Amino acid sequence: MKKIIFSMAASILWLAACTSGKKTTSAAKASDSALTSVVVAKPIGKAPTEALINAYLQLKNALTKDNDNEAAEAGKSLVLAITIIDKNALNAEQSKAFSDIADDAKEHAEHISASEGNINHQREHFETLSQDIYELVKIESTPGRKLYFDHCPMYNQGKGGNWISETKDIHNPYLGKAMPDCGRMIEEFN
Amino acid sequence: MLFVLAVIQFIQPDRNQSGQAAILDISRIYPVPESVQGILRESCYDCHSDNTRYPWYSFSQPAAWWVSSHIRKGKSELNFNQFGSYSARRQRSKLKSIASSIKDPTMPLPSYTLIHRNALLSAKDRQLILQWTAKMISRSPNK
Repeated sequence: MKKIIFSMAASILWLAACTSGKKTTSAAKASDSALTSVVVAKPIGKAPTEALINAYLQLKNALTKDNDNEAAEAGKSLVLAITIIDKNALNAEQSKAFSDIADDAKEHAEHISASEGNINHQREHFETLSQDIYELVKIESTPGRKLYFDHCPMYNQGKGGNWISETKDIHNPYLGKAMPDCGRMIEEFN
Repeated sequence: MLFVLAVIQFIQPDRNQSGQAAILDISRIYPVPESVQGILRESCYDCHSDNTRYPWYSFSQPAAWWVSSHIRKGKSELNFNQFGSYSARRQRSKLKSIASSIKDPTMPLPSYTLIHRNALLSAKDRQLILQWTAKMISRSPNK
């Protein structure tokens, strides 16, 4: 009897160790990305929204490759970037736009990060999220960085979808590898 | 085991029944036709409002925990009674998400309609909701 109890206890401990081991790695990962985001967000001369836009672009690029895992990861970074943004560094107009979109954008990013394995759902949220990010990008001068606002007329049964890109060439995040170059640029931000 | 089952019957989660007039309810902000309101109440409000109509089994544990966790999650995603507390932008997002969950169709949850047969949506019900959400999205400001 003692033996049985002992082995049960041992296996429970072992299981606990396994799960907590996993957790530490993901926690370590999270804090890693937290660190990099902080590092990216802080340096003087860089836009306060830089980490946020980087995370968005990372998400967009994952979707162009039909990669739902990477999209989920990027979603997580985006949630973090929204949470830790240095609001004091935003100018009045940015600050207004940010507070207008923050809760909405964060929720979309959370859904995307929780929707691994369901890329269609990730894209649904990405569509509205892109509109949020647009509000922020259109008023901000991003030093040394050019961004583009692109439109895909075919997405969502012809309703269309927009996205922000760092490349002049079209890489479609809605249709992915099926139609990588569908769409056109509709606005340029300097 | 039986003992544990007996004991947990006394640990009941809080009920989701505010009993108060919902001043932030969606129907105070958007026009909600009777037909749509009826569908929302029957098929959505149990998990997406501050007032649940509890089924008998939800008083027995551990079902009560399971039910209450569903309600908590459902309300945190979307609460029709608190719709007015969302920013305009978020309201629009929620309406969009309602439409896609009805179209896909991921809602109402199969585990819910399995027991609540009245909550099953007919094709006509879905059509009504979709038309309504489309109309509400298009009339909301700065689309």
